[in-house]
Amino acid sequence: MSMNVQPDLDFIKDMKAAGGDTLKNCFQCATCSVVCPLSSDDNPFPRREMIFAQWGLKDKLIGDANVLLCHQCGDCTAYCPRGAKPGDVLGAIRAYAYKFYGWPKGLANLASSGKNLPMLIGIPAVVILVMWLISGGMHIPSTEAFVHHGYGNFFGHWNFHLLAKNVFFIDLMFLTAAGIAVYGSYKGVTAMWKAMAENAGVGEALYRPSVPQFIKEFFWPAVVEIVEHERFKKCETNADRIRGHLPLMWAFIALLFVTAYSAFAQDVLGIFIPSLHGPMSLWNPVKILANVAAIALVVGTGILWGNRTQMEKDGQSSRTFYDWFLIWMIMAVGVTGIGAELLRLIGIASIGYVTYYLHLVAVMMLFLYMPYTKFAHLVYRTFAMTFERYRDSAYVKNPINEE
Amino acid sequence: MSDTAGNGAVLVVGGGISGLTAALEAAEVGNDVFIIDKNPYFGGRVAQLNQYFPKLCPPTCGLEINFKRIKDNRKVRTYTMTTVKSVSGGPGNFEVTLETAPRYVNSNCTACGDCSDACTDEIDNAFNFGMDKCKAIYLPHEMAFPRRFVLDKDACSEECLSAIKGACKYDAVDTEMQPKVFTINVASIVWATGWDPYDYKKLDNLKPESSSAIITNMMMERMASDNGPTGGKIIRPGDGKEPESFAFVQCAGSRDENHLEHCSYICCMATFKHMTYIRERYPEAKIYVFYIDLRTPGKYEHFREKLMSDENAEFIKGKVADIIAEDDGGVTVVAENAVTGVKMKQKVDMCVLATGMQPALGEAGKALGVAMDGNGFVVSEPEKGMIAAGCAKSAVDVYTSGQSSTAAALKAIQIGR
Ligand SMILES: Cc1cc2nc3c(=O)[nH]c(=O)nc-3n(C[C@H](O)[C@H](O)[C@H](O)COP(=O)(O)OP(=O)(O)OC[C@H]3O[C@@H](n4cnc5c(N)ncnc54)[C@H](O)[C@@H]3O)c2cc1C
Ligand code: HEM
Ligand code: SF4
Ligand code: SF4
Repeated sequence: MSMNVQPDLDFIKDMKAAGGDTLKNCFQCATCSVVCPLSSDDNPFPRREMIFAQWGLKDKLIGDANVLLCHQCGDCTAYCPRGAKPGDVLGAIRAYAYKFYGWPKGLANLASSGKNLPMLIGIPAVVILVMWLISGGMHIPSTEAFVHHGYGNFFGHWNFHLLAKNVFFIDLMFLTAAGIAVYGSYKGVTAMWKAMAENAGVGEALYRPSVPQFIKEFFWPAVVEIVEHERFKKCETNADRIRGHLPLMWAFIALLFVTAYSAFAQDVLGIFIPSLHGPMSLWNPVKILANVAAIALVVGTGILWGNRTQMEKDGQSSRTFYDWFLIWMIMAVGVTGIGAELLRLIGIASIGYVTYYLHLVAVMMLFLYMPYTKFAHLVYRTFAMTFERYRDSAYVKNPINEE
Repeated sequence: MSDTAGNGAVLVVGGGISGLTAALEAAEVGNDVFIIDKNPYFGGRVAQLNQYFPKLCPPTCGLEINFKRIKDNRKVRTYTMTTVKSVSGGPGNFEVTLETAPRYVNSNCTACGDCSDACTDEIDNAFNFGMDKCKAIYLPHEMAFPRRFVLDKDACSEECLSAIKGACKYDAVDTEMQPKVFTINVASIVWATGWDPYDYKKLDNLKPESSSAIITNMMMERMASDNGPTGGKIIRPGDGKEPESFAFVQCAGSRDENHLEHCSYICCMATFKHMTYIRERYPEAKIYVFYIDLRTPGKYEHFREKLMSDENAEFIKGKVADIIAEDDGGVTVVAENAVTGVKMKQKVDMCVLATGMQPALGEAGKALGVAMDGNGFVVSEPEKGMIAAGCAKSAVDVYTSGQSSTAAALKAIQIGR
């Protein structure tokens, strides 16, 4: 392994800001690598990552899959004899990596600092407000109309069937935000993969897996493991976190399905069957699923919230904007979503509309900032866990592939 | 009741090598000295060592001469099983209340041992860290000073007690003895309370109680001693196997903010010394030393070099952070080798935890007005008449303890002037 890498002062500064400032205490005893329940025998962490971080070797770290395999269970931090908080340091490296790989850069920089919080809320707030103005839908409906249409006429309505005005505006904004997020994630993940492959010494392999092989052998098993939370279960110090993360993840999967279904129903089928626009019956199985998921989302996030508060109280974790911003955003999405629905059921249009507006703002924040905030772990971690399988597979380890 | 002494009397708390040295230094220039120890004997931790560096001589060579000098010096009054209850007054005129716990054996005792032969109840032998048992009426160790038996009354049945009493020809056993509280007036106090081995059971990630193959460095000292639980054999507790391989876990509980934050300074040297114990008995045994960095005071550099060139010894940079008990009675120690970056799992027959020295005085000292640093070491305050010596002051070897005790005695007698 060559060491022709330069210390990066900017990186060191970022590490401090993000909660990794205990790192200088590390004296390389390697207790952490042994007590870490996720670290492997041949490729242990986080001791090595600690020395790289001390030296400011950013390039080594942003291409280090271990950084993303770490689940921040904090067993290392609990046993570290020097209070170097390796779990937090790795968290800070992840935060840095998401920013580093973020595209577009401006947005990535914006989303990575608590100082920008007013802007971060302001952008979606203004965009949606302006759209609401332009749409001409900006007035509080009568209780009767509210109960009948729900938020279906939030952005007004056109009296022709081909495309509901509301759907148009929602799609315009949210497909754009999602598009940026998906493209940004794609760029980030491919850059990370390349860096990880270089760092792990995965050269030009003679035999590469085909796409279906890749999915079948590496990606899908990783996804299954993630969904089953196998690694969360190994954490000891922070064993309770799984009780929040598991329902939260399932809530997202369910809501993804519900959103896809309702987009199909409203945007495609709705063109032919206008009655599909408007609120679903509470007894519609899809609606039941949506409501259960919404509750799971709020409860799961609540558990994570409490858990993180406790960890910080016990000195096992540092308080950072990076960690809290995600929890706040998801909580905001859940609370405003459930709030808007309840207000619709009670029929209070005025507060309902304002709550719905806030819900849209929260959802847009979550979408738009996904690739740069802690939420980016969703994609980066998934691919790091895929990479780990690839790295340890015959494609890489096979002697034929080694010169 | 009150013991009066001349001007400038000194109280020395703790009768280990440091306390003995300080007491003698002060007494030999003419001051009255009270020396107390909470143990039923003087000598402290050094008495438990097999040999001590630099010269690897047995503890008798240092302690016995001190005991003799104390016996011969009429200025020194000795009190075993005695602790400080309260301190009032100030430098030059302290009033100190002491309490002596009942020994249940009076000064008639000739240490003939008849009582012990008659005794039917046994207790864990504290001197040997519970590795063997001894009778409930016992001489703490072979060269104990004072040479007098001590009775653990609570461990005995009524029948046993009357058997013991009946066996003593000198009427030395007194089961009705009561704690004795008394006050003394002194000009200064020397705290020479030394250290306790850090409680290795607190190292929970090492699961120290999961296997009898896991011992501490002080247990190693006792095992290697001829007067120890195994008569000088280094064998695995439990099954008595002669180990073919050893792992030393350095900094076990030292330099660790979850345990002792300070470096105990001696454990690296102690491990080198223990390698010599092993080599004397097992010339071929494999020895693995896991360390963060090896610290040896300059004066011991030569000793270190010799042992580091041992062909059957391997030194691995990486702290052992997990120990797995194996079915054959051995253990596997786990560490990341920080040089190669790969985890190492080494199976050995015996594992020695190089635990550190924890200041013995503890919280009780604070209540008596003793100043302590964040690690619990006593901070000398000569202007307040309180002076620290030896390991009570910092984790050091015998030689340095001697130096600091001489210095402490000098300061103590100046207060009396
Ligand atoms: C494994 C190991 C091996 C070692 N080997 C060596 C070696 O080879 N060479 C070397 O130079 N050093 C060695 N040392 C260090 C050595 O043991 C110390 O330097 C020495 O014991 C210091 O003596 P001390 O009198 O200061 O303390 P201690 O020996 O601890 O004596 C203190 C005395 O004070 C008494 N006491 C404590 N609290 C109270 C109280 N509240 N009231 C009344 N009495 C009290 C105790 O009962 C004890 O008798 C070793 C240490 C370890 C851990
Ligand atoms: C819908 C998808 C997901 C959501 C909503 C989600 C949400 C969250 C939240 C809110 C936290 C913060 C917990 C805390 O602060 O203590 C978190 C942490 C975590 N998530 Fe997810 N997550 C998702 C997907 C994933 C995926 C795919 C992985 C892949 C392994 C993953 C692994 C982790 C890990 C390891 C942590 C703890 C480490 C850390 O706090 O950085 N998550 N997740
Ligand atoms: S982070 Fe802590 S446990 Fe890990 S090597 Fe550094 S000091 Fe040791
Ligand atoms: S936080 Fe957990 S997973 Fe990450 S390095 Fe520490 S012990 Fe391992």
